[in-house]
Amino acid sequence: MEGLAGLALGIALVGLGFWTLVVRRNLIWKLLGLDVAAGGSILFLVALGYRPGGRPAIVGLGPGPAVDPLPQALVLTAIVIHFATLALALVYVVLLTHRRHTQDVRRLEAEERWPQP
Amino acid sequence: MKWAAGVAITGLMALLALGVIGVFPRPELPDPEPVALSWGARNAVAAIVLGVRLWDTLFEILVYAMTIAGVKLGLRFLRWEKRVPPVAETPLLRRSADILLGPIVVFTVYVAASGHLGPGGGFPAGALLGTGLLLLALAKGVERVSAEIHEEALDWVEYGAIVVILGLAAVLLLLGRRGAPYFIATNLLIALEVAIGAWVAIHRFALSRGEV
Repeated sequence: MEGLAGLALGIALVGLGFWTLVVRRNLIWKLLGLDVAAGGSILFLVALGYRPGGRPAIVGLGPGPAVDPLPQALVLTAIVIHFATLALALVYVVLLTHRRHTQDVRRLEAEERWPQP
Repeated sequence: MKWAAGVAITGLMALLALGVIGVFPRPELPDPEPVALSWGARNAVAAIVLGVRLWDTLFEILVYAMTIAGVKLGLRFLRWEKRVPPVAETPLLRRSADILLGPIVVFTVYVAASGHLGPGGGFPAGALLGTGLLLLALAKGVERVSAEIHEEALDWVEYGAIVVILGLAAVLLLLGRRGAPYFIATNLLIALEVAIGAWVAIHRFALSRGEV
C-alpha cells in the first residue's frame, strides 16, 4: 500500500509528540511536543486522503482518480488554528516565566500557594 | 505516570492503525470535480474551503483574529527588568531583504489570486507574506521595522478585512452568488488577514524578549 508510509510516520509523530507532552517537565518542551503531535495528525489526515495512482484534486490535470480533497481542506483549518493557539499558549508561558522565573511544572506546582480552606 | 502515559499513547496509536487497516467503515464520497466546477473553481480544495465549508472558514478566521488579539493583549504590559539589546545588522542582509520583499509581495498576490485555479489560496499566501515580513525584521532589526509599520493602521486593516470577508460571505450565503471573482476577493482578504496576524504575533514576541 503506497500511502502507508505517510500514515505510519503520522502515527509515530503523534505518539512522540504526546510522549513529550506528558513526560517532559519544561513547559516549552511540552508545547514543542504538542506541535509535533499536531504535525503528525496533519500528516495522518493528508495521507488518509491519498488514493493509489491519484492525481492532485485540480480539474484538468490529466486522467485517473483524484485524491480526496476533503482532508486537505480540513487540514488547512487545523494548521492556521494550531499556529494561533500555539502563539497564545507561548504568551502564557512567557508571562509565567516573567512572574515565577521558572518553566518547570514540578517547581511551579511546589511553589504554588494554594488557598487555605 | 510514565507507564500510564505509555499505555495510553500505545492504545491511541493502535486505534489509529486499526482505522488505517480498514476495520472501521469509510464513507464513499462523491466525485469532487463536478462539485468544484459548480462553484466556479478548478481547485477542489478551494471550492470546499470557500464554498461548501464556508461557515467553518468564517469561524476559523474569527478564532484566528481572537487569538492574535489575545497575543497582543497578553504581551502589551510585559516589562522585563533585563532587556536583551537589538542584534547588530549588516548592510548585506539589509539590502538583500529590501530587494527580496518586492518579489515576495508579488508572489503572495499571485498565490492568493490564483488559488481557485491551482495550488495555493489565501492561507498559504498569508503565511508567505508573514514570513517575508519576518525575514525583513530579522535583517533590519525588529525595532526598526515595527517603528516603520504603524500598529494602529494594521489593526484597522486586519479588522476591516474581517468585516469585508463577513460581508462577502453574507452576500454569498443569502443571495446564493458563486464564481471566480468572489473566490479571488476572499482569498486576497484572507491572505491579508493571515499575514497581518502572523506579523503581529511574531513581532510582539520579538519585541518582548528579555531575561529573568
